[in-house]
Amino acid sequence: MQVALNEDQRAIRDALDALARPFEEAPVHEAPRVAASPDFARALAESGFLDVACDPDLGTATAGVVVERLARLPFAVEAATRAFFAPLLGDVSGPVCLVEGTRTPRLVRFLEAGACVIVVEEQGVSYFTADEQQLRRESESLFAYPMASLLEIPEERAGLPITPGEARTRARAALAAEAAGLMAAALASVCAHLSERTQFGRKLATFQALRHRLAEAQVRTNGVYWMAMKAATTLDPADAALAAWHAQESATSTVYDFHQFLGAMGMTLEHPLHFWTYRLKALIGELGGRGASAAAAADALWG
Amino acid sequence: MDFDWTPDEQAFRERLRDFLDTTLPDDWERFSQHGPASPDLTRYAQTFCAALAEEDLLIPHWPVEIGGQGQDPWHQTILAEEMWIAGEPRGGQYMNVNWIGPTLIRYGTPEQQARYLPPIAQGKALWCQGFSEPGSGSDLASLRTRAVADGGDYVVNGQKIWTSYAGLADTCFLLCRTSEDRKRGITILLVPMDTPGITVRQIPSIIGEGDIHEVFFDDMRVPASARLGEEGQAWEIIAYSLRNERLGIPRYALARSALDRAVSILQERGDFVREAVRIEAAGAAALCEAARLASYAIVTRRAEGETIGQESSSARYATVMCERRVCEFIVEHLPEALADAHPYLKMHHQRGIVAGIAAGAAEIQLNIIASDVLGLPREAR
Repeated sequence: MQVALNEDQRAIRDALDALARPFEEAPVHEAPRVAASPDFARALAESGFLDVACDPDLGTATAGVVVERLARLPFAVEAATRAFFAPLLGDVSGPVCLVEGTRTPRLVRFLEAGACVIVVEEQGVSYFTADEQQLRRESESLFAYPMASLLEIPEERAGLPITPGEARTRARAALAAEAAGLMAAALASVCAHLSERTQFGRKLATFQALRHRLAEAQVRTNGVYWMAMKAATTLDPADAALAAWHAQESATSTVYDFHQFLGAMGMTLEHPLHFWTYRLKALIGELGGRGASAAAAADALWG
Repeated sequence: MDFDWTPDEQAFRERLRDFLDTTLPDDWERFSQHGPASPDLTRYAQTFCAALAEEDLLIPHWPVEIGGQGQDPWHQTILAEEMWIAGEPRGGQYMNVNWIGPTLIRYGTPEQQARYLPPIAQGKALWCQGFSEPGSGSDLASLRTRAVADGGDYVVNGQKIWTSYAGLADTCFLLCRTSEDRKRGITILLVPMDTPGITVRQIPSIIGEGDIHEVFFDDMRVPASARLGEEGQAWEIIAYSLRNERLGIPRYALARSALDRAVSILQERGDFVREAVRIEAAGAAALCEAARLASYAIVTRRAEGETIGQESSSARYATVMCERRVCEFIVEHLPEALADAHPYLKMHHQRGIVAGIAAGAAEIQLNIIASDVLGLPREAR
């Protein structure tokens, strides 16, 4: 048992941080709802960090480390699905999306022309490359991800050598890792603000009513982090479902607190908080939401 | 990252389970409801701990030179998990091996170690901790029980309250005030409970009989050699002790075991089919896992030789969350357990109430996390 990053994982995390450093500042005024950075996306794609899972010595455990770290950035980059499915997909240039079932239309994160869309159905897992006719951009979406509606799923798709259960397990582990990073970044940004802002002659962070709720958010964030790392390491169905549930449940219980603590600024786009919280809101509804994650955990644990 | 147990660790756990299977009496689950400090369980714990000691399973994590096997913190964790899952048949002696012994090893004089460590290692000692007072619970540094130096002795006057195990304990780990300095004015005395001037009165408790007490000290006199560490060193010493204590009770393990038992009972009677019940159970299991992994992250660092700071408060609070969630699940779906239908679940519930209160209230843990983990400016006092 070693509930800590190993030497390789720490080195990769540090190298990724170095790559991301120029992109740590949020472009709040230029892109108030969705922050995307083609420059960073390109640098990331060329770096190979999203392909770490293809190295058997690093595996999806290290993909989890990468995904969690990238989620802390204010820029939305498609990393989670790609990093966890990279060993199965081969060469894919665009973003990777995942949908369960063939219902359309449906809202999909990072969907664009040229994106790889993985379709998980009971009878198997397949994928196709999306074209313009199959999607409608949702530029008015509140979610801080690039979003589009998938209008049509083509009959002709390539198969993926993985069972639907295995695909869901990877998707849940990826979701938990991404949520862990989003929660960590949101919490850090709120703590920084409350440590600076003075009201009633005191720093807001000295009020116990706020401190206790932030401390509870820390406990939740820490739990989601390690559960995500475990799920990414083991790819065990129970681990992944429990991690996804804890991520979605914790997102539900922390997002409103985070906005609340910013006061009026929590209603505006002048602080980067919304990048992380509105992404968390998107993740709360992924893969069937909390109920489906819990049901999957119950099935895996107790049959 | 590695989330598997080594073959050695797995074998250690199996060995403990075999030992518990063959050693605990058939009616143990009903018997354990009496509470960890009850006279019956305290007497049984003497037999049980002596048997553990015989098998080198009482203090395997202690250094070899004082009777242990020098095993790493993972073995300590596995030992604590298996004992707690079983309903803690060591009774109050769990404190000895978790933190009183290690504290004496670090801060005790050779005479104190020679006097107190062997009975602990043989499973024959029972300690109580004289911390809380009527006016000093979470605000422990405000304690007023006073020790006054008089010749070569200390004369102690004051009162402790909510003291676990005091009724049958043979020694008290007593915090006293020796000067007015709030934290540096507190001193530890190791006090035999048969010292004249001590009166113990039991307070009925939810946990079981014999658990909680008031302890009065009236002109109680102990020699200066009873002092642990220097005068005024208590705050430093108990900070060390409590870091051990906060990880010492793996409540997440019993909570998860109780949850599995509850699910098994519901399955047997066909009541574990409704999605709403299954979802509740899974949520409780997730919180148990969150607490377990948060604790393991701390144990990992300890096993690598790091001194653990205030991060253990985060794991401790995660444990409170899971303990309460499992208690709620059982109350909601198996309320008869709190009567007499399922002794194991009742035992879990009796002890669950303690999770957020003992060894530093949950709110104190949140204060610590806010200041020392999140780095927020300290609150005004």
